[in-house]
Amino acid sequence: MTNKKGYLQISFGWLFAIIVGIVIISLAIFFVTKMFKTEGTLQSAKTSKEIGILLNPLETSFESAITSSVIFPEETRIYNTCDNFGYFGTQGIEIMQKSFNKWAKTNLVVSFQNKYIFSERYSEGKKFYIFSKPFEFPFKVANLMYITSASTNYCFIDAPEEIEDEISDLKQPNLKLEEECSEEDVRICFGLNTCEIEVDYDAKKVEKGNQAMYFETDALMYAAIFSDKATYECQLKRLMQRIEQLSLIYMNKANSLTTKGCDPVLNSYLSGLIVSVSNLKGSNELYTMNNIIDEINEKNRGNCRLW
Amino acid sequence: MVVGEKSHNKKAQIKIQQTAFMLLAITVFFVLVGLFVLVFKVGSIKETATILEEDNAMLLVSRLANSPEFSCGNAFGTSKVDCIDADKIMALKESSEKYKDFWGISNIEIRKIYPTDELNIECDSFTYPNCNIIQIKSGGLVGYSVSNFVSLCRKESFEGSPYNKCELAKLIVSYESIQ
Repeated sequence: MTNKKGYLQISFGWLFAIIVGIVIISLAIFFVTKMFKTEGTLQSAKTSKEIGILLNPLETSFESAITSSVIFPEETRIYNTCDNFGYFGTQGIEIMQKSFNKWAKTNLVVSFQNKYIFSERYSEGKKFYIFSKPFEFPFKVANLMYITSASTNYCFIDAPEEIEDEISDLKQPNLKLEEECSEEDVRICFGLNTCEIEVDYDAKKVEKGNQAMYFETDALMYAAIFSDKATYECQLKRLMQRIEQLSLIYMNKANSLTTKGCDPVLNSYLSGLIVSVSNLKGSNELYTMNNIIDEINEKNRGNCRLW
Repeated sequence: MVVGEKSHNKKAQIKIQQTAFMLLAITVFFVLVGLFVLVFKVGSIKETATILEEDNAMLLVSRLANSPEFSCGNAFGTSKVDCIDADKIMALKESSEKYKDFWGISNIEIRKIYPTDELNIECDSFTYPNCNIIQIKSGGLVGYSVSNFVSLCRKESFEGSPYNKCELAKLIVSYESIQ
């Protein structure tokens, strides 16, 4: 009776094995979690790159606009990032997908210099529509890509006839005209109605959430409609950077054509265009370029036209 | 009693040694498995990256001729599909350093294929237009390449007045496999 032991008797071997076992299992769990995260990041990087690659066929030739769609197996967020560093700035795409009902953050941005995507800071859904339209100012500068989630419908109210024609020709299911709209749709008004997005087509202004974005050409109007102000202004700056580089190329071309009997009459205007685009502070100054654009269009005629 | 205790201690020491060796073996085993998985994973990442590069090059080559730096636009009469403005490309060649990462590919080459020339002459400011290969970046094509047929147009002059001349060419885009 006196020899009764009140504690669990574990030999040293067992204790050692348990401790080491715990360490090994913890390490295994740590590495599996790490690998799972890495796999998610890899998948995200791959998807971001794939989206960028899928945008290549959206480069237009004769077409005034093209539409395409992307479907993901999981609920996905496409983050649109933009910066103006270097000669062309950078378009970034970051993908976040739902894993175990949580958004898996990756912080991995895949960058492209030759893409211009206009969308909200992020678009969410399983299916996305990408609509592309060439931006000419005064020459073709780039194809602008507008990404919208299939779960968000946009309703164009009182749009000018050419816009209505373009929307109906595109046949993109989430872009609707007034007669097809429902209550939940995001309304884009071209008249005096009070809508989420208001377009003053004559003043070339898009108002969205108390913020104004200015445009020239329909391509930029769609850009302002589908994107937030920060993205719009940043991408606009990138487009201006590309105009600068293209102007230099056209000036070089004009100089080389002097031996073929063509006078480089456009060069002084292109120099003026370079100055204008490099001084542009924001979309509210876009109208200041109208004169020089008209003059360039006027001069770029005849047998020696540059584009 | 002392002899018994000593043999007990020895047994325990041997057991500890056995456990230590076992642990070492298990650790080595897991490290080897980890290394194997890592090598396999890295290999598959490289393969995926190369496939993506290939896809990019293939889709790009089919539309590159329509991009503003290449396309003829209306410079040669009406607008044309898959038409490259050779005069513009020669001007682009001078800005090739700025465009080095622009399309995300290794190099771009335009090779005139009709009318054929016996010699391969690379175009530069001295040889143009009496040449048949335009390389956007110097150094030639590296890695794999994909191509597309295009018309290559330029301005020529006859008795001081300009006229348009278009020839058949191949637009070649090269990309490197990820090492």
